[in-house]
Amino acid sequence: MARSKPQADRIYKCLNPVGTQVPVKTYPLAPRLDTIDGKEIWLSITGEPDITIALERQLKRDYPNVNWRMKKTYMPVQVPLSEEEMKTADAVIQGVCW
Amino acid sequence: MPYIAELEKAGIPTVLIDLTDQHEMVKQEALANGMPNVRFLPASRTLPGPEDVQTWIKPMLEELTRPLTGKEKESGLYSPPQPRVLFEGTLDDAVEFYSQTRHVPDPLDAPISIYTDGLPIVIPTEERVARMCKGTSHRPDEVITYQSDRGQRMFEDVKKGDVVRFQPMKRAATVEQVAVNAVMAGCKPEYFPIVLAIAESGVQTGTTVYNNQWCVVSGPIAKEIGMNAGLGMFGPGNPANSTIGRAYQLMATNLGGAIPGINRMSSLGSPMNRGGMCFAEDVDSLPPGWLGLNEEHGFRKDQNVVMVMGTEGGLDAAQFSPGGYRAFQKSGHGGIARRLGVKGQPGPHNFLEFILPGIWAGGREGARTFIMVHEMAHHLYEMGYKTKHDVYEYIWKKGLEPLSAYRNRSWVDLMTNGWMGVDRQSGIPWKELPEDHLISVAGDKPDDNCIIVCGSDEEVCMQITGAPRAMFGFSPFYSIDAWK
Repeated sequence: MARSKPQADRIYKCLNPVGTQVPVKTYPLAPRLDTIDGKEIWLSITGEPDITIALERQLKRDYPNVNWRMKKTYMPVQVPLSEEEMKTADAVIQGVCW
Repeated sequence: MPYIAELEKAGIPTVLIDLTDQHEMVKQEALANGMPNVRFLPASRTLPGPEDVQTWIKPMLEELTRPLTGKEKESGLYSPPQPRVLFEGTLDDAVEFYSQTRHVPDPLDAPISIYTDGLPIVIPTEERVARMCKGTSHRPDEVITYQSDRGQRMFEDVKKGDVVRFQPMKRAATVEQVAVNAVMAGCKPEYFPIVLAIAESGVQTGTTVYNNQWCVVSGPIAKEIGMNAGLGMFGPGNPANSTIGRAYQLMATNLGGAIPGINRMSSLGSPMNRGGMCFAEDVDSLPPGWLGLNEEHGFRKDQNVVMVMGTEGGLDAAQFSPGGYRAFQKSGHGGIARRLGVKGQPGPHNFLEFILPGIWAGGREGARTFIMVHEMAHHLYEMGYKTKHDVYEYIWKKGLEPLSAYRNRSWVDLMTNGWMGVDRQSGIPWKELPEDHLISVAGDKPDDNCIIVCGSDEEVCMQITGAPRAMFGFSPFYSIDAWK
């Protein structure tokens, strides 16, 4: 391809450097709970023990009517609920803090 | 974030706790994962945990019970318009257009370029981009995919043919879109296969970590296109090194959507990433028996690869100029010789003995990449280290320390999964190990470390925290030939 000399008054088509946003289907949030009492709520912890240790302790102390369940890791990717656990889980608190 | 989306789709309400300055990042990731209205509460970076929890524990639980708003019940399709031609006008007007900035609020609170790294660019006219595309046999409209099976990344298999998703916005890219960025960086068409191979890496930038992005080219292409593997190869002046390194950063900005202060949250940022960093190894200067990076990592000597690194941690240079190293090696004079007890004895001596294990004292534990001048490599060879592996063994042993000391290092809670996991060096659970058990701070195994020989004669040896085999098992080597 012959290289043409840039011209000050010429109109150029300049291309887009931005990547392609693959269309994303967006979803509604899950319906919320009517109450947390009697529910099985998972605390999914990934790191930041300064916060999550205190959170776990206080949840268990102040909300004894909740069936608190835990998934813990220090790694950046959480330990997911199994299919069986998802069947009975009512809610998940994801404590990321990375 | 994909996990939160999966739970919400399955009808399980969630609430996310993250740090206060990451709100924009959470919103972006939520959108990219199809759950734009994820409920999020910010935790403090400064309050002690118990005090912090007090401030948001009730609101957090309310997020699980407060009825959904109309917006939160909406579904739809996120598909922003993406014109191929971004601007039409004169070159002067184009310069102004591509130099646009946006104001990024606190904690940054300054203008940040929308399309560039803050420096002027070469305007990506249609003609220039077409010329760049001639640098590869791949079609301009071809989507960038992995050219080989890659193993696991963040616990997910990555296979040949999978579309490369550029983080953090999970975008895809075509060969032409990569070419646009290569033009903007000032690359020549003959550099383009290297830029495409770098693109295959997904050009990660990290999120809240001190992440240094850098690339090193191994193979004959380095000489063919005039890369600098000699004196000052990190520094300014060489068009190939400079523009290929710059292309990484422009791709991160444009293909990935990485924006400082929004989703690229390194507190200080790294000077390596400001202009981008790419260089070549000096394979001709390797001691006999020492393999180049390509051969060391499963390729042939005549094959071209680029090692694309995102290393988290320090950059440390052991300066031995002027004359200190010379005096040490030639006649055993000077402070280095005194410390090593070889005063008055001619070399060769082992300079690594001088800097190890001190390189782990102030920074993070873990494997290191040693970028050493050929003179130092040859001295090691003359001392009996006939392969790089011999040196790696030496480095690894110098890194041994008792578990009681290892516990006090910076990333050990993470890397041991809170000491709940198994020590990868011994295969024994951490909780069963005695405090005097020896752990090497130089990686799980000797070959986790890396040596790159390049640069000039004496002066310096540089150590970069992190190395190719210590990256959670994901190979950072990409074939350049696959993109020719």
